[in-house]
Amino acid sequence: MASTVIGQPVPQVSALEKVQGRAVYAGDLAFPGMLHARVLRSPYAHARIRSVDVSAARALPGVKAVVTGADVPERRWGVAHKQQHVLAKGVVRFIGEEVAAVVATSESVANDAIDLINVDYEPLDALLNAGSAFDDDAPQVHAEGNLAHEIRIARGDVDAGFASADLIHEDVYSTQSQYPGYMEPMATVATVDGTGKLTVWTATQSVFLARQRLAEALDRPVSTIRVHQPAVGGGFGGKIVEERSSVIAAFLATVVDRPVRLGLSRLEDFQSGCFSVPTRIRLKMGMQNDGRIVAKEVDILAECGAYAGLAPEVMLVTAMRSDNMQRIENVRSRARLVYTHTMPRGAFRGFGGTQMLFALNSHLATMADKLGIDPVDLHRRNAIRTGDTSVHGWSIGSCGLPECLDQVTGAIGWSAKRERPETGGVLRRGIGMAAAMHVSGNRTMGNWDGSTVTLKVNEDGRAVILTAESDMGQGANTMLSQICAEELGIPLSHVTVLAPDTDTAPYALGSIASRVTVNAGHAMLKAAKQARDQILDAAAAKLGCDAADLSIVEGVVQSTVNDNLFAPLPEICRYHIFRHGGEGILVTATHDPRTVMMDKDHYGNIAPAYSFAAQAVEVEVDTETGQVQVVETWLSDDCGRAINPLAVHGQSNGAAVQAIGWALHEHLQFEDGRLMNGNLADYTMPTADALPRVNSSIVESNDPNGPLGAKGASETAILPGAPAIANAVYDAIGVRITDLPITPEKILAGLAALGEKNHASV
Amino acid sequence: MRPFDFLEPSSLPEALSMLAEHGDACCIMAGGTALLLAMRQRMLAPETVVSLGKLDELRDIAFDPDAGLRIGALARHADVAGSSIVQAHCPALAGMAGGLANPQVRNQGTIGGNLCYADPATDPATFLLAAGAEVTIAGRGGERRLPLRAFLVDYFTTALESGEILTAIHLPPPGSRQMLYRRYLRTPAEHRPVVNIALSAVTDGGALSDVRLIVGAATPVPQALAQTEDFLAGKSVNAAIAAEAAALAGAEVEPLSDGRADAAFRRQIVRTATRRILLDAAGLDWKDNAA
Repeated sequence: MASTVIGQPVPQVSALEKVQGRAVYAGDLAFPGMLHARVLRSPYAHARIRSVDVSAARALPGVKAVVTGADVPERRWGVAHKQQHVLAKGVVRFIGEEVAAVVATSESVANDAIDLINVDYEPLDALLNAGSAFDDDAPQVHAEGNLAHEIRIARGDVDAGFASADLIHEDVYSTQSQYPGYMEPMATVATVDGTGKLTVWTATQSVFLARQRLAEALDRPVSTIRVHQPAVGGGFGGKIVEERSSVIAAFLATVVDRPVRLGLSRLEDFQSGCFSVPTRIRLKMGMQNDGRIVAKEVDILAECGAYAGLAPEVMLVTAMRSDNMQRIENVRSRARLVYTHTMPRGAFRGFGGTQMLFALNSHLATMADKLGIDPVDLHRRNAIRTGDTSVHGWSIGSCGLPECLDQVTGAIGWSAKRERPETGGVLRRGIGMAAAMHVSGNRTMGNWDGSTVTLKVNEDGRAVILTAESDMGQGANTMLSQICAEELGIPLSHVTVLAPDTDTAPYALGSIASRVTVNAGHAMLKAAKQARDQILDAAAAKLGCDAADLSIVEGVVQSTVNDNLFAPLPEICRYHIFRHGGEGILVTATHDPRTVMMDKDHYGNIAPAYSFAAQAVEVEVDTETGQVQVVETWLSDDCGRAINPLAVHGQSNGAAVQAIGWALHEHLQFEDGRLMNGNLADYTMPTADALPRVNSSIVESNDPNGPLGAKGASETAILPGAPAIANAVYDAIGVRITDLPITPEKILAGLAALGEKNHASV
Repeated sequence: MRPFDFLEPSSLPEALSMLAEHGDACCIMAGGTALLLAMRQRMLAPETVVSLGKLDELRDIAFDPDAGLRIGALARHADVAGSSIVQAHCPALAGMAGGLANPQVRNQGTIGGNLCYADPATDPATFLLAAGAEVTIAGRGGERRLPLRAFLVDYFTTALESGEILTAIHLPPPGSRQMLYRRYLRTPAEHRPVVNIALSAVTDGGALSDVRLIVGAATPVPQALAQTEDFLAGKSVNAAIAAEAAALAGAEVEPLSDGRADAAFRRQIVRTATRRILLDAAGLDWKDNAA
């Protein structure tokens, strides 16, 4: 019987409350006696704080507390690099760094008080350009120097590979920071209760990682903190563990002993950073005449801004992940992460993949051209396949990349468009494509990538799920509800997923690394099967038959051999309670995938599954204005199996739009380290006007390690957009843009240079 | 945003007396699209905001064969775009109003508020200058009427005196005039123009006369391209004439350089815009005629 839940295009379980405006976000919360916090930020990229005079601010009526770096714990927090305090102590390292905070009876009073704080800064020379980080006279961001992290990876014989190559091509690519642009700017409400327990409601992708960080930053035991995740309006990586406002809000609650709300305005959210890691990538590749890649060498300079955060992990992905997309043997990469006196950069949807896949796909298109090979064929010839073990030891349980290529090129009419004659004129069209891979899960923390789900079936036969895997809008709760409903034979509307809460939910890493479907989906499947077994055992006892002959269909336990033998599910659930000493149906199941942590050489099968995607686009370039319009886009995501095709299409289309934004429109402008366009009027994310119809399709490669065959969806889909557009621009006008974003100015400059070159060669 | 008193006068005289009473400590609010942004960022912190929202008499749109179009200052952009009177007597104005900014701004912002704010990165002023518009301003001493050219003084600066309210915009009867308007965004993701251009001319058997060619958004206040206008007078547009006019326009425009685009880029767009609007006016296809 075909499932009525799994594989069906189900609207998000939270859709109704969200469109009605009834979903409660952190910033919506209000408590009796709640106070409001505001933050004072550094106007200097690098300065010593000589003194801070808060007396006038403290004296303002309505102000309850004013704190500075002198008041916060000595302990530093961070991911691998412990570098940050709750507020800057002694030195500021970027414009926007939090220097002081005010708690007052209203936001308006708090704002007035902020204006009354007088900070005496001694401005210092600032390092604003990653390229100058190793200059002899470069200002030092941290005492240990400007190099935050370095990675070297080598496999095979790269030199011999290049020696055997028929074609060697080398180029330098650069990528800019992108703002996550979530609908909900960061917001937190924190309070301390009579027992001294600190409770925090915050926009987070992981309540347990949030709690861990708060424990570190506030220097107190983990169990004295409780973190709740209310509805979250998007994260895209920015709400993992790098944003700082939740830490400040929690600290302020401990100071005033009353509920404190800190909601960032959009401007402040920009000033706080949480942008993606900008990179400069030198890529050298050798190929044989048939297009086979025989050697690849990469040198990356990445910038993490003032503090390392997750950027070292992001850079590792840039340095090696895309090597696994192809059957190659000889690879060498060096990647260096440098500090600058600019806002911290880190996790962003795709987690370092977008940067390298821009370089790689641009490079492959160029080399395909030089070899006279269709780039689609070049991808196909080199593509990793199901059953392969990649150069870095990844076991590819399923690979739908060839099917993704078929889908997108078929949909856009690739061959016909490639063969159409060139037309002159002001507006030129071109097509481009790109391919990508990503992990589904990643064993990086504590040699564990597991997920635990607790399932309770109530006496009315309806289910409640406890998990701390986060739904930040991507659809995790709907996925879990679908699996639960399917296994228990109940309607989707009879399943509730409780909001993550560190005190009641089992431990979880949360929504990172596209790991929730592949890992929590499995745990959910196990838990639901266990609960189902308990129900059927109870029903067998009550009905006097064999449990193996029973199933649950639409909320009724039914014998498969005797139509007259059935009982409504609520009856069995009540019976279970009454016949087990009051024990209801309550099961907990864990799934930890059989993966390994990378060894010191970055080798090992880190993820239970790997997902793939391809995209083909057509652009129209206005050769007089430099404007690029994406006129057609097709994206295909190999997500293993689409538990919810509607959600997968939503993720794919959203990712395609975010990639269009990064490729063409979104550009943070800095002047002496100051962000000049930190608002949504000047930082132009694509709106509906800027977009064509966005198309996506799904490849179901049915991964053997995925729950019901499923892998992650969403992060993979953001990866191919930018290079597909760059390749299409090249196809349209013959200008190869290697530094993102592709601005009208760069298009016009490229056309002018091309004109001069053509003129000179006549 | 700082706390403020919000006043809603129900007549123009009442509004004028409120302005007189509160002086420079108050701001006038029409649609509020720009004002509230500035107040939220504390760039403006008026003690009092005088809303004109209840002055319905300032929303009227009317046409008189002798006097032309009269558009109340409080007409929202969407009202102008959707007005059957505007569509009948100045369709290019309806098109301009229906294409500016984004739907949220068009449904809230007013044409008068737009002119008074004098932000260069917007559309109405460029069009209205080409149309030969005048404005009526009410003050405690009565009304005065002046050409829009005199009203627009500089970047974010108008001839409006403290205590005065812009009440109406007047467009002379179009007669045999042809009007065209185009706006250029730097990228499709932007909502504000980086360059806009308006052409107003009488076409007599193909030859242009009484040419007005105004460029805006690229300049602190919309600029009349006088040399290009002179060059075009008496000429019939073809590809070569359009290209020559484009080069002239690019040379005489004095563009802004700011975070949104530098002067060289704006100059290039002005050239392009000039060429294209002239070819459009002549019914020729600019797509085949790269300069």
